[in-house]
Amino acid sequence: METWQIRPLGEVLRDEWIMRPRILELLKEEPRTIPQLAEALGKPSNEVMLWVMAMWRYDLLEETGKANREGFFTYKVRD
Amino acid sequence: MPCQSSAGKEKGKQMEHDVLIVGGGIAGMESALTLGDMGYKILLVEKQASIGGKMILLSKVFPTLDCASCISTPKMAATSHHPNIDMRVNTEVEGITKLTDGTFKVKIKRKATFVDPAACTGCGECEKACTVAQPDQFNFDLAARRTAFIPFPQAVPKKAVIERFGSSPCNFTCPAGIKAHGYVSLIRSGLYDEAMDLIMEVTPIVASLGRTCFAPCERECTRGKMEGPLPIRMLKRFAADHYYEKNPHPPYGPPGEKRDKKVAIVGSGPAGLTAAYHLAKNGYEVTIFEAAEEPGGMLRLSIPAYRLPKDVLDRDIENVTALGVEIKTGHRVQSLAKLREDGFDAVFAACGAMQDLKMKIEGDDLSGVEGALTFLMRVSSNEKTDLTGKTVMVVGGGNVAIDAARVALRLGSAKVLIQYRRSRAEMPALDAEIEDAIEEGVDIQYLKAPVRFKGASGKLEAVESVNMKLGEPDKTGRRRPVPIEGSTSTMKVDLCLVAIGQRPDLAGFSEKDGTALTRWNTLEVDSTTLETNIPGVFAGGDVVSGPASVVEAVNSGVRAAEYMRRYLEKEELPGKPMAQPPAVVDRDDVLKRNEGITKLTPAKIKHLPVEERVHNFKEVELPFTEDEARFSASRCMDCGGCSECHQCVHACPANAIHLDMQSQSEELEVGAVVLSTGFQLFDAHLKERYIYGKHPNVITAMQMDRILAPTRPYNGVLRPSDGKKPDNIAYVLCTGSRDHTVGNPLCSRVCCMYSIKQAQLIMGALPLADITIYYMDIRAFGKGYEEFYKQAADMGVYFVKGRVGSIEPADNGNLVVHYEDIEGEGGHKTAEHDLVVLSVGLFANPEAGDLFQGQKLDLDLQAFINEVDEDIDPGRTNIEGVFAAGSASAIRDIPDTILHSGSAAAQAASYLERRRAAK
Ligand SMILES: Cc1cc2nc3c(=O)[nH]c(=O)nc-3n(C[C@H](O)[C@H](O)[C@H](O)COP(=O)(O)OP(=O)(O)OC[C@H]3O[C@@H](n4cnc5c(N)ncnc54)[C@H](O)[C@@H]3O)c2cc1C
Ligand code: SF4
Ligand code: SF4
Repeated sequence: METWQIRPLGEVLRDEWIMRPRILELLKEEPRTIPQLAEALGKPSNEVMLWVMAMWRYDLLEETGKANREGFFTYKVRD
Repeated sequence: MPCQSSAGKEKGKQMEHDVLIVGGGIAGMESALTLGDMGYKILLVEKQASIGGKMILLSKVFPTLDCASCISTPKMAATSHHPNIDMRVNTEVEGITKLTDGTFKVKIKRKATFVDPAACTGCGECEKACTVAQPDQFNFDLAARRTAFIPFPQAVPKKAVIERFGSSPCNFTCPAGIKAHGYVSLIRSGLYDEAMDLIMEVTPIVASLGRTCFAPCERECTRGKMEGPLPIRMLKRFAADHYYEKNPHPPYGPPGEKRDKKVAIVGSGPAGLTAAYHLAKNGYEVTIFEAAEEPGGMLRLSIPAYRLPKDVLDRDIENVTALGVEIKTGHRVQSLAKLREDGFDAVFAACGAMQDLKMKIEGDDLSGVEGALTFLMRVSSNEKTDLTGKTVMVVGGGNVAIDAARVALRLGSAKVLIQYRRSRAEMPALDAEIEDAIEEGVDIQYLKAPVRFKGASGKLEAVESVNMKLGEPDKTGRRRPVPIEGSTSTMKVDLCLVAIGQRPDLAGFSEKDGTALTRWNTLEVDSTTLETNIPGVFAGGDVVSGPASVVEAVNSGVRAAEYMRRYLEKEELPGKPMAQPPAVVDRDDVLKRNEGITKLTPAKIKHLPVEERVHNFKEVELPFTEDEARFSASRCMDCGGCSECHQCVHACPANAIHLDMQSQSEELEVGAVVLSTGFQLFDAHLKERYIYGKHPNVITAMQMDRILAPTRPYNGVLRPSDGKKPDNIAYVLCTGSRDHTVGNPLCSRVCCMYSIKQAQLIMGALPLADITIYYMDIRAFGKGYEEFYKQAADMGVYFVKGRVGSIEPADNGNLVVHYEDIEGEGGHKTAEHDLVVLSVGLFANPEAGDLFQGQKLDLDLQAFINEVDEDIDPGRTNIEGVFAAGSASAIRDIPDTILHSGSAAAQAASYLERRRAAK
């Protein structure tokens, strides 16, 4: 099953505001990759990618180190 | 070559600029620097917020693999600091006209950016605080930016701008200027206190408005054209309730700085309270005189507690008294002029429209016939009224009628009916209120009105009514009710409440003070300043407008406070107009921008069940939960771009944000024009079989250049579907080039080389990745290009000769590419990749053609600027004195663009000198 979904970009980006607290909460529990976050949130992974990257850009979270063997970074809440 | 001092001067004509350069990409910068160095005064106009064009957004450049930023930024800095270059970003050319003397008249518009560039330090605090997300055009929609944003880290100038498409309909519609979109976006972000603070920038009576406002903003909400408007009023209530729960009393006191002036306010309704709040915040000593025993005006006296609980109103009023405002209740002011004599430096009359209109029919003065407002006021002031078992008739169709009917029910009436002389469609009361009343058991009789009150011993016993039909529309546009002859009927009624209108009680003022009145018996004021004919006495709210609404009264309170402040500070009246909002956005444009978004059923506003509310004054409307509030706010489409939440204003340490900034147009004259308006990228959506926009892992090469750039949108070279590092990437060359199906037979010249460049960079970033380039033939025409191509092949890039026919989704976010294998075994082949990059072609930017008035600029078949003779006269266009530079006239790579721009600069200089010599 595909984990991505296409919705109009503006609509997805606006949802960052309601997804933010949930993403931060999950990352406070433990660092997670985009697919792991997507699964925990029940949201498409491409949308989670957009929200996480916006939060990365505005210094709310950061990657923990190098990508894992499957090629995914894990992200944590920025100190 | 001119010396410094002669530059900028035409013989017999003083011009500030010799050359206008349109477009600040590498071509524009190169031409500007060349001409600037020669001593010419340059006006460089760029429509974006930064110069640098596409080049500054690239990763590295072929074939040297020099970092694009490292070679662009020095040129950008040199351009911005050059003494002969006047650089204007965020500026559009509105028109260029060639004059008979060979010079040009130019009209430019500096777009309002809402940030003072002189003050902005580029710290980016506004971006972090901003509550609106937009697609980032500088990352080609791979990521989000904020509506307040700095285009990219190396922007020149590095100044924030705020994107506003216009006023959001809700903000624009609010009569009081409350920023509905602002608090909606704050609630969406979980910033509830900030939402409350934003509303309190306008009025202290937030919770009251959140319960009683007729919410004109909701009628205009764009979402109303979809599944229903946002519940904006309920969101305001949510912000207020949340704040009051945390702050049972205001967390502030009187302002530190006092002014030595005293203000009297007559009436403590929404207008009086709002004016008092602003004046007290400004440091004036404010006293409110209120005739009733408790403050609040209509909010307390007529709006029943089941709509606005008294403790909620009390808390709103505390927002005012906490500032040191004294409210003297039980104090009816008889003369406004006397207040001035008593030492008040200014007076604001906001005493409402509290007198019921009478029906003026037989029996009007019987006991048992009462004005609805008088009745509501009696009940509000706790006068015992028992209507058990009584039949109550209410006459009228407005909100006062509905309120009176529902209050009568709560006081035990056996039957409550409303007679309204028009039909439901004309009824001015709010639909929701009408529905609630019906649900509670109020019987509404439409097209019926009393003609006689019948009684005995001075007491009402029955009402005789007549049926109506609707005739021609009257002055208000509503159809006039006409009695139907012979249709009278009589019913027994114990109490008839007349709710046919109210008016102010002003006889006292006009007699004692000579206050001018209108023919509607309201106070006459200056329509801008709200000052009456008595200097220093201002008036607003229902006493001026006649019965209107809470939010309109708030507006007059805000306005009066500002003009009273000017009056008290002895400033000129009216003086500078109060800030005007930008024009409202077109809601159809907003819907177009949001095409395809999900329909989201609005959160239901819940009410107490009828049986639990109809015999008491418990609040009927239940509050939103936090989830309902955030969900509701998240339906907002950010119609105007900026929500006016003011977070950036508070966050900016340099006080650089000015949301009332206006765009400015200017007319100038120049001696020559260089057009360096660059190119446009092919819109990959048009190649439908490549499923761009339908699959997250099909991206364009421009997007890949961003991913590879040091200022990338992601924290690595990752694919958009899930953040995985791709390890099998395909390039599809000639996407939109050499392709008659999209109307472009031309080769885009740079795609082969930039794709090879990216392939080499990816191999550096992801050493284990496989890269396949599907090509028709490789065009490696420049110096070092062939070697660059060979080098990529040697590094392990697969070159597959064959046109890609289509791309299909495969599992795990991967894609299957269908291609024609031309060089290998031949035939149709497929291959799976985890990311596909479309090497999109370059198209003409047709804008240049629209810039000229009176003369037509020649464009070629592909809409590039036509050079008269590109072999021997590069840069010259059909309009003498107008030159094209860089990719505005043909697709060029960076080295060719720079060369060509030098040529255009030389041509422009030569034109100027030839004209000078001729004179
Ligand atoms: C994916 C990709 C990768 C590339 N990689 C390379 C590379 O590695 N090496 C290389 O040599 N070339 C490369 N190129 C080509 C290179 O980008 C161009 O050669 C170069 O940008 C052309 O510069 P220009 O100034 O003519 O146009 P642009 O860069 O397009 O600049 C034009 C400017 O004019 C402004 N403008 C447009 N209209 C108006 C108006 N009406 N009023 C005011 N301003 C206006 C625009 O906003 C813009 O800032 C690449 C191109 C692409 C698409
Ligand atoms: S007012 Fe609010 S929405 Fe507008 S730019 Fe500032 S922070 Fe962003
Ligand atoms: S969608 Fe949002 S911005 Fe647009 S009118 Fe409605 S509440 Fe205002």
